[in-house]
Order: sequence, then structure tokens, then C-alpha cells
Amino acid sequence: MKKTVRCNRYRPFNDEQAKMVHETVLRVLGEIGIEVNEEEALELFQKAGAKVDADKSIARFDSELVMKLINQAPSNVTLWGREEKHKIVLGEDRVCIGTGGTAIRVVDLDTGETRASEIRDLHDMARLCHHLDNLHLYMLPLYPNDIPKENVDLNRFFSGIVNTTKHVMGGVYTVEGVRDVFEMCSLIAGSPDEFRKRPFISMITCVISPLKMDSHYTKLMIEAAKHGIPVVCPAEPLCGATSPITLAANVVHQVTESLAGVMLTQIVNPGTPVILGTVSSTTDFRDMRYICGGVEMGMISAAEAQMAQFYGLPFYAVGGMSDSKVVDAQAGYESAMTTLLNVLAGANFVHDAIGLFDFALTMSYEKCIMDNEISGMAMRAAEGIRVDEETLAFDVIKEVGPGGSFISHKHTARNMRKEHFLPKLSDRNIREKWAAQGGKDAARRAHDLAKKILDRPPEPQLPAEKLSAVTDRFPQIVYPAK
Amino acid sequence: MTTNYENIAEAVRTGEEDVVQKLVHQALDRGDSPQAILDEALISAMDEVGQLFEQEEIFLPELLVAANAMKAGVEILKPLLGEDAIKSYGTVIIGTVQGDLHDIGKSLVSMMLERGGFKIIDLGTDVSPENFIQSLKDNPETKVLGMSALLTTTMPEMKTTIEALEKAGLRDKVKVIIGGAPVTNAFAQEIAADAYAPDAVAAKNIVRQLVGEED
Ligand code: B1M
Repeated sequence: MKKTVRCNRYRPFNDEQAKMVHETVLRVLGEIGIEVNEEEALELFQKAGAKVDADKSIARFDSELVMKLINQAPSNVTLWGREEKHKIVLGEDRVCIGTGGTAIRVVDLDTGETRASEIRDLHDMARLCHHLDNLHLYMLPLYPNDIPKENVDLNRFFSGIVNTTKHVMGGVYTVEGVRDVFEMCSLIAGSPDEFRKRPFISMITCVISPLKMDSHYTKLMIEAAKHGIPVVCPAEPLCGATSPITLAANVVHQVTESLAGVMLTQIVNPGTPVILGTVSSTTDFRDMRYICGGVEMGMISAAEAQMAQFYGLPFYAVGGMSDSKVVDAQAGYESAMTTLLNVLAGANFVHDAIGLFDFALTMSYEKCIMDNEISGMAMRAAEGIRVDEETLAFDVIKEVGPGGSFISHKHTARNMRKEHFLPKLSDRNIREKWAAQGGKDAARRAHDLAKKILDRPPEPQLPAEKLSAVTDRFPQIVYPAK
Repeated sequence: MTTNYENIAEAVRTGEEDVVQKLVHQALDRGDSPQAILDEALISAMDEVGQLFEQEEIFLPELLVAANAMKAGVEILKPLLGEDAIKSYGTVIIGTVQGDLHDIGKSLVSMMLERGGFKIIDLGTDVSPENFIQSLKDNPETKVLGMSALLTTTMPEMKTTIEALEKAGLRDKVKVIIGGAPVTNAFAQEIAADAYAPDAVAAKNIVRQLVGEED
């Protein structure tokens, strides 16, 4: 699997424009402020120096305070896997890609029917994603509709941890659930301290556009920051609905709102790992429905990545989705477009980019396979063209000379895998061979590939004694999930 | 006269509230009847806008901006026509259920219903069954209760609220309509809601049916 690569070739803003966005963000924070519907947070902001209008629960921040708190936050955040090779450092212009969530439906791999997702699907998704080379970070992509709400957090995180050693990120639903998850992870790590040293999970909270912090999610944010667990504070301004219709203003909203979350975590626990985040998108003007396949989503997210780099904060970007309901041409081109824009901008973690479509409501195993391929190609583009003596290959050109051939040259064998992405899904056969293999389109081939991985018996990625320790302690965990 | 109404219609279409108000005043000063201005200028312009919207010639924000402009004109006519002349289809209480903070869809439904002639009491997000019931008691004329939910975890709150209505002896007093991205018609039937709407425009039409005021 490729490590994260570095890239910052796509800059939606020039320096002057980035500065204008930044100044507008500061004006919004200073003049309009954020509505904070959580007592503790409002007090914390006030103590830190924000101007608080207690009647309206509004906190306003002057630019010095904003910059001071931003500068306290680490520029790089490590997301550990349970294998060294899966360790990811988010920050600067490094890029990686993963799933997102939380979808509530899945396209059944066997029947092709779209149905409510269940806990068994979460296990299957994790099993599949464990084997996808171009998926670097696993976000819990589904909601288990067959599990009682109070056991959802535990079952979701367990489904990830037991099936993949990649870092597991996820949204959370209840405070008790968060505690259970902490306890389970501590059991697996050996102790709470061991777990805190190398947290192999992270959590997502949210700030609500326009300009609001909700009580429940702000509590979760404070809780995670206290524990020093990496936490994402995404905002999701939607053009024309919860932000102005213009892309620049959408970026201003996202940056302002997510920064409010970042600032809070830094007041709670200076230096705690925090990630600026976006789920920004656009709307369908016919009914203002949320859409996730527009090219603008990729542009906004890339622009926000540029702002995150400007602030020196790690970034949780959004892209790689489609509004199609089936794995078809639309699913492919929409997903590829926004993934690529993000990756070329050095957006640190492109979430939602594997398997998700249908207004972010449905996950598809086949689309996971297709997006893994898109991710591989995008990462290759991000790596760029290496230029040095070896790659310019003057000596080789001279040696082979006019009219010669490079096929059997050592230089070719030595460099081909390094320089070229090898697709697993794309068909590159001659027509006759393709026809002889069934004349399958990409969706059908993706289906076969997914099936091949999932037909293997599950291999638990936890040692037997840890597995039984966890399932004994938490009998509400459904395992094995059928 | 027609030219003036064409101006008003144009100003409604393009959502220029100030221009609409100015032209309505001019028409009144000239001696036109308020009813004629309402029917032939404002309502007919809005009907046309509605058709353009259905044909996907214009989009929802344009429709809403036009509706605002029409409303600005109606405000001037209201005192002259008397309240009765402007039809109200009744009161609708609406909110996003407990534990749920998604309000874009709910607010859109509110807006469409309001433009469609209903009086709206919007309780916002995270509305508990008790709050819905309190609001119903405070507004006994209410004909419809609308609930929105976007999370599978909060959908059950719709059922809880309907059960609470039953307990409070209020279930027969109102029709219940539900909606939100994960909500389905089947779910509405399962929890014995009276109706489900997939989008805001459908919601307006269905609520009119519920109160027996179909177009
Ligand atoms: C009364 O009668 C009626 C009749 C018709 C009615 C009706 C009532 N209500 C709606 N309708 C209908 O008419 C409307 C107009 O045509 C339509 O309304 P809609 O609301 O469907 O459409 C709107 C016009 C636009 N659509 C939307 O506004 C929703 C879009 C999506 C992307 C979405 C958004 C924007 C948000 N979110 Co949320 N969010 C998602 C949504 C995915 C999706 N595709 O729906 C969903 C619903 N969210 C989800 C999640 C996981 C979450 N969200 C959360 C938060 C948020 C934001 C605050 C960031 C933001 C909401 C902002 C706001 N002010 O509302 C969190 C929960 C917060 C909470 N407790 O409520 C959080 C848990 C994530 C987190 N970070 O913790 C997922 C649901 C998972 C589940 N288990 O159900 C989700 C499907 C996205 C995803 N794939 O992850 C119709 O449904």
C-alpha cells in the first residue's frame, strides 16, 4: 500500500484571494460571532478572552485570540493503525483517502437490492476495505439498523476493529456509547494509557452551519479533547441553504465554523490533536435537496484544504461521492472528479471517497472497488512526475538510440511499477479476450472482485484472547454478525 | 391598465419587493380595485411562476423570492380586502423531532406551506413529544402536525410523539404528516401517521388534501 503522498498542485485561490477569505473569516468571528448553545463551552470561550453576549449565547473572537488558539493546535496529527504500516500522519500537504459515512442503506452484494443496512454489512464493509490497497483510513460507513440505539456505538467501532488493522474513525451517537468504546479500546490496547499513547480510533463531532454550536455535539467535542483523542470538528455548509450560494462564502462558513471547534478543543486541552473538517456541498435548485456529486464540492473542499494549509492545521476533506443510484458512468465520473481535485490540492484525508452515493444515503460494495481504483489513480497523479537522472534517462535514450526498443531494457523493468499505476478493475484486454471473459462492464467486474474478497472466511484482526475479553465484557456486541 | 399589471407580474417574477409595492400603490391611487390587483396581478403572476417552476424553467430559490415579492404586494392589499379575502387553509404545527438537529428540509416545508396559505407554527429542531403537545394545546385550532426526521436514530421519535398524542387524547384532533430523507411511506403507515411527503412541494399539496382543500 502507498504511504500518504505530498501534493499541492491545485490552488483554487491565489495568495491575495486566500488572504481575502482569511480576513472575512476573522470578520465573521469578530463581528458576527458563533452561537454557542452549551454553557460550559461558552464559559470556556469567555475565560479564554472571547467577548460573550450571554443573552444571545454569542461568542465573538478578536483576531489575536483566533490566531493564538490556532497556533496552539498541532500541525500534524497521527492516526494510528494497529499495524505500523497503517499509521497515517495528517497535515501539511500530505494526502490520503478513505471511506465516510454514515449511510443508512446498502446495495446487497448477492441480490443487488438496496435495503436498510445491518450490522453484518458493517462487518463485510470492514473486511472488504481491509483488502483495498488505496484505502488508507477506514471510516465506519454504515448505520446498523438492526441494533438497538444504545448499543450502536460499541457495535460499530467493534465491527471496524475486529476486521481491519487500519485506523478506524467514526461518528458517535450517545455519551454512554463513547465511554463503552473507550473502554473497549483500552482493553484491546492493554490499558487506557496505552490506548491514549497510540489511539487507533478517532471521533467526529460537528459544528452546525450557519454559525452554531449545538449542546450535545459540543459536549462530545469537549469530552474527546479532554481525553486527548483525535477529534474532527467538521462543518457542513450547503450552498444556498445554510451558506450563501457563492462558493467563496461557503468556504468562509466552513472555515469559520470548523475553526470555532478547533479553538474550543485548544482551550479545553492546549495542544490536543484536532482536525479542521468539511462536509460542505451544494444543493439541487429544484428542491434544495443535498447533492454530493457536483464538481463544486471538490472545488470547495480543495479551497478549504488550501486554507487549512494556510493555518497549519490538518484537514478532513470531502469528495469522491456521486448522486447516482447504481454503479454506472455517472457514479464513476462524479466520484473521480471530486477525489482528484481534493488530492491535487493536498487535502489531507479525503473522506466519503469510497463506496458512498445516492445523496450519501447508500453504500455499495461494487462502488468500493471502483473508488479504490479511482483513489489509486488520483494518488498516482498526486505523486507527480519525478524528475532526476534516473527518470530523465539520458543514458538509456543514448544507448537505445534512434529506431531501437525499450521493451527489454533493464531501465523499463526497474521503473515500470514505480512509475505507473496498475489497475485492478479497468479492462485493458483486447476485445476478443474481454468478450471471452463474459464481456463484463466495470460494475460487473467490480462485483466479481468484491465477491472474491468477501467469499473468503472472515479473519478476525484481533488476537483470540483480546477478542474473547471484549465479547465477554460486552455481551451486547453481536459477533459473529450474520 | 394591463401594462401596469404586466409590470407588477414582471416584478413578482423577478422578486423585486420594492417595485411590486410601488406599483401596487400606483394602481390603488389610480382607483383600481384591490381585489382586481390581487387576482389579476399578484395571484396570476404567482400562478405563472408556479408553472415555470413545475416545468423546471426556474428553481426553488427563484420561486421563493417571487413568493416574497407577491407577499409584499398582498401586505398592502390586506387591510383593504379584509382578512377573509385572503384564504387561510388553517394552522400547521411543524418541527424536527427530539434528538435531531437537521432543519433545512423542515424549514423548506414550512416555507412552502406558508406560501401555500397555511399559518405555520415552527417549533424548530429537537422538539420533544411534550413540546408538540403543549403547542397543540396552546393552539387548539391546529389542523395538521408535521414532523421531520433525518436520522434513523430519531425516526422512532415520530412514533413516540404519535403515541403521546393518543395518550393526551389529541390524536383525533389533528392530521399527522411526516417526512425527511430516511422516512418512507411504509414507515408512515407502520406508525399510523396520516401522510408522508417526499418533498416540500408534495408536502404542500398533501397537507391541502389532509385539510380537505385540494386544488
Ligand atoms: C412534516 O412533513 C414533512 C414532509 C416532507 C419533509 C419533511 C417533513 N422533512 C423533510 N421533508 C422532505 O422535504 C424536504 C425538501 O424537499 C426534504 O428534506 P431533506 O431534509 O431530506 O432535504 C433538505 C432540503 C436538504 N438535506 C439536508 O439538509 C440533509 C443533508 C445531509 C447531508 C445532512 C446534513 C446537511 C447535516 N447533518 Co447529517 N446530514 C445527512 C444528510 C444526507 C441526506 N442526503 O439527507 C444525514 C441525514 N446526517 C447523518 C449523520 C450521521 C449526521 N448528521 C449530523 C449533522 C448534520 C449537520 C448539522 C452537519 C447538517 C444539518 C444542517 C441543518 N441545519 O439541518 C449529525 C447528527 C446531528 C443531529 N443530532 O441531528 C450526524 C450524526 C453526523 C455527525 N457529525 O455527528 C446521516 C444519517 C445517518 C443515520 N443514522 O440516519 C446522513 C444520511 C448523512 C451521512 N451519510 O452521513 C425531504 O426529505
